[in-house]
Amino acid sequence: MEGDGSTTDASQLGMPGEYMAGSHYVLQSQEDDCDESLHDHEEGNGSKENFREQDIYLPIANVARIMKNAVPQTGKIAKDAKECVQECVSEFISFITSEPLKLYLQKFREAMKGEKGIGGISVTEGLGEELTDDSFANQLPAGIITADGQQQNVMVYTTSYQQIPGVQQIQFS
Amino acid sequence: MSSNVEEKVNHASNSKGISLPMTRVKLIMKSSPDVSSINQEALLLTTKATELFVQHLALSSFNNGSGKDQTLLYSDLANTVEEKETFQFLTDILPKKILVRDYLKLLEENPIEEADN
Repeated sequence: MEGDGSTTDASQLGMPGEYMAGSHYVLQSQEDDCDESLHDHEEGNGSKENFREQDIYLPIANVARIMKNAVPQTGKIAKDAKECVQECVSEFISFITSEPLKLYLQKFREAMKGEKGIGGISVTEGLGEELTDDSFANQLPAGIITADGQQQNVMVYTTSYQQIPGVQQIQFS
Repeated sequence: MSSNVEEKVNHASNSKGISLPMTRVKLIMKSSPDVSSINQEALLLTTKATELFVQHLALSSFNNGSGKDQTLLYSDLANTVEEKETFQFLTDILPKKILVRDYLKLLEENPIEEADN
């Protein structure tokens, strides 16, 4: 990854994010002329949020170019700001990929509840006894044709679909 | 749907519309659990949305900023993320920075068990 010594990513510094009684910090490298900030007390989250294994970012040149075009002509952008936005971008993409998925599943489950005789039976027949919330979250049909041939009105999230054994599937185009 | 949409997608990415590499965006999307394949339209939308997001974040932070030399600093980003609700999902990756010596000082005042330093 590009970057000079002053990276804000704790994992790049080679040490895990430090925790202190419910707050977390990013250690800044020893540059005395950098601006001092107030430390911020935030809720302690699971450590996996700070310790990212998947360091897949978009190229910093592209990101920097978009930023430059967004701010007024005379504006400049600090290098660590560019790096940070680069990380934010990856976070953003992951966020909008996973969030609609959760919403969809929520709506899907609510829709299933409404259709007692039809949706409930056909889906559980297909999935067997393992229809817990967790297993359900891993299966994302684009559409379902139930056992009696009725087509469920399912909100289609066109990003992905997976096979559900025992349930015939259609893909909406 | 496929071929017509794909043409449009390729056209959009080749023209000046998109300046981010869609293959990379796709990679990041795939790193989410529960995602297997990505629809072309969704990918295009996501890429464009990401671009707009960068612009929005950059501009908001810049306007929110300390105003020193018209420069966008990391601290501007951290402040914007804390203040604006739309950026709240970024609070974990944009914590405010603290100098090591201040942190060590804090530790002295509030000693806890540490794995290593």
